[in-house]
Amino acid sequence: MKLVVAVLKPFKLDEVKEALKTLGVQGMTVAEAQGFGRQRGHTEVYRGAEYEVDFVPKIRIEVLVDDAQVNEVVDAIVATAATGKIGDGKVWVLPVDTVVRVRTGERGSDAI
Amino acid sequence: MAWWGSQDALTDERGALAVLAAAAHAVPYPSWLNTGDNTWQVTAATFVGLMSLPGLAVLYASIVPKKWAVNVLAMMFAGFSLVLIAWVLWSYKMGFGSTSIGGGVHNGVQTQLSNVGWVKHFFENLVGKPGQVLNSVNEQGQAVSAANTAVPFHFPTDSLLYFQFVFAAITPLLFLGSVLGRIKFSAWCLLVPLWSTFVYGVDAFLLWGGGYFAQEGSVDFSGGYVIHMSAGVSGFVAAWVLGPRLLRDRRNALPNNLVMAAVGAGILWLGWNGFNGGDPYYAGADMAAAVVNTNLATACGLMVWVAMDAWLSKERKPTFLGAVNGMICGLVGITPCAGFVNGWGAIAVGAICSAVVWICWNFLSKVRPFSKVDDALGVIYTHGIAGFFGGMLVGIFGDPNTLELGCGNLNASGQVINTTQQQYITAHGGCTPFGINGLMYTGSAHQLWEQFRAALWVIFWSALVTFILMKLIGLVLGGARYSDAILEVGDLAIHGEEAFPEETLAQRIGVGSMAGDPESTSLASGEPDRAPPGAEGEH
Repeated sequence: MKLVVAVLKPFKLDEVKEALKTLGVQGMTVAEAQGFGRQRGHTEVYRGAEYEVDFVPKIRIEVLVDDAQVNEVVDAIVATAATGKIGDGKVWVLPVDTVVRVRTGERGSDAI
Repeated sequence: MAWWGSQDALTDERGALAVLAAAAHAVPYPSWLNTGDNTWQVTAATFVGLMSLPGLAVLYASIVPKKWAVNVLAMMFAGFSLVLIAWVLWSYKMGFGSTSIGGGVHNGVQTQLSNVGWVKHFFENLVGKPGQVLNSVNEQGQAVSAANTAVPFHFPTDSLLYFQFVFAAITPLLFLGSVLGRIKFSAWCLLVPLWSTFVYGVDAFLLWGGGYFAQEGSVDFSGGYVIHMSAGVSGFVAAWVLGPRLLRDRRNALPNNLVMAAVGAGILWLGWNGFNGGDPYYAGADMAAAVVNTNLATACGLMVWVAMDAWLSKERKPTFLGAVNGMICGLVGITPCAGFVNGWGAIAVGAICSAVVWICWNFLSKVRPFSKVDDALGVIYTHGIAGFFGGMLVGIFGDPNTLELGCGNLNASGQVINTTQQQYITAHGGCTPFGINGLMYTGSAHQLWEQFRAALWVIFWSALVTFILMKLIGLVLGGARYSDAILEVGDLAIHGEEAFPEETLAQRIGVGSMAGDPESTSLASGEPDRAPPGAEGEH
């Protein structure tokens, strides 16, 4: 089992979600996040005072998948989230020791 | 009743009609009362009240950092309450009472119109005799005040009292913007009624209540001096005595909610229709002119600031909070002029005040003493400087044909008869129309001079008394500002509340016997403790 984590541009969420549904992914978790990468931050002006904001709004997606499905899920995310411009985000994959479905107590792949 | 009724019934019917006819001639209020004037006065007052609560409260609470929002709201609501209590107990009569200490004004009449020497004239027309307005005669009797000597008031004392209260209330709330983020809640609760008594009461009587400056010819339509300039200067002095906010709070003064700031600012703008529209004291022609002039100046002030932000600022961006600043400059600038200038004058006043304040905001703020005093929201600029310039501009743009009070004609039985515009503008009978002779229309700088004298006084008096009061309060409370440890935390340390509590992170402790508490309810009804209905069955 693997955990696919993706930090993406917020407006890409819908497309990515639809692509993952098409692949038969059973669930995902989304959180609003702030971050910076090579894309720079920006400045804001309040009452004549300038503020530098190093972090830009992102969404962070987490998807639990079987080993067999990892590549197509990662490919789907990258394909749908890419705009070709700086700040598109990143996707990374982590190994997962175990997964338990809280309601039933099922473990492992069954719980995904 | 049926037409075929008996003779007796017909007689009854005639009797009933006679009673009805008599009732139609009786009115449930005294003959001096005019329902239109009275209705507008209290409506306008309510508009002005809404400018404070929630208008200014929400605006200020939204443009301070999140950790200070509750503190601002608490001080706003407490300040509003404290001014009203002082107002009915003693201070209304200081500002608008019919008789001054020294007797220069007596029963609503200015008794010293002949030359009595300026010292005697000044001190006997300085402030009204304090007193309560709480009994029925005081509350419902016809308003009598030298605030208006041309035509008797058409409403009771309470209409004037409430209208003037909401002005008295908003003034300290305005300069809360200078001192927030470090002043003790207790210091604020002492400062507001004292300031209202000794600064506002005196200035209001001098310029509005028929006191010295009113008699000399200085005008302030709705408070460019008495309210805004006074608030700006007092806030600045109080901020200087208090010392600055924490360095971190000054460096990171991020607003917490621009949408709510828009709600507060919008209420402020439209509430100003009552602020300036109520000051002719009659629901007449000048009321409408003052309302339109107010909105016109505001629109110009707003757009001038936005344009200067977009073209002249370092960032070259049309900011929304800049627009709010420009809006306030327009509103404040037109306040002393609203019913004295025409539409062209209103455009000029709004544009000039906004441009001047924009320049001061961006450049004067880097010069001593402005650079050394932490006026948190810049009240000295948007209220102090805008109020000063607005008050001076009356002397330039005051249009002699824009009448605060014209003269309608009355027939022998006291009813209004046909009056032409020309008759309204020119004097008729015992009435003298009231308009301002501005420099632009008459070539005379006399009004400008009168405005300048009054401005100097208001600046001097506001600064002096605020300084003394802040020092006294500091002595009484062992310092008027919170310790740095409390300032680091803000709302939570002072009030035990935060503006945006997180439901999922908070858990109730020490559940007691408060009303509405589910546990105490179940105890009272003798039921055993159990989960609320619906909690079972979904395992």
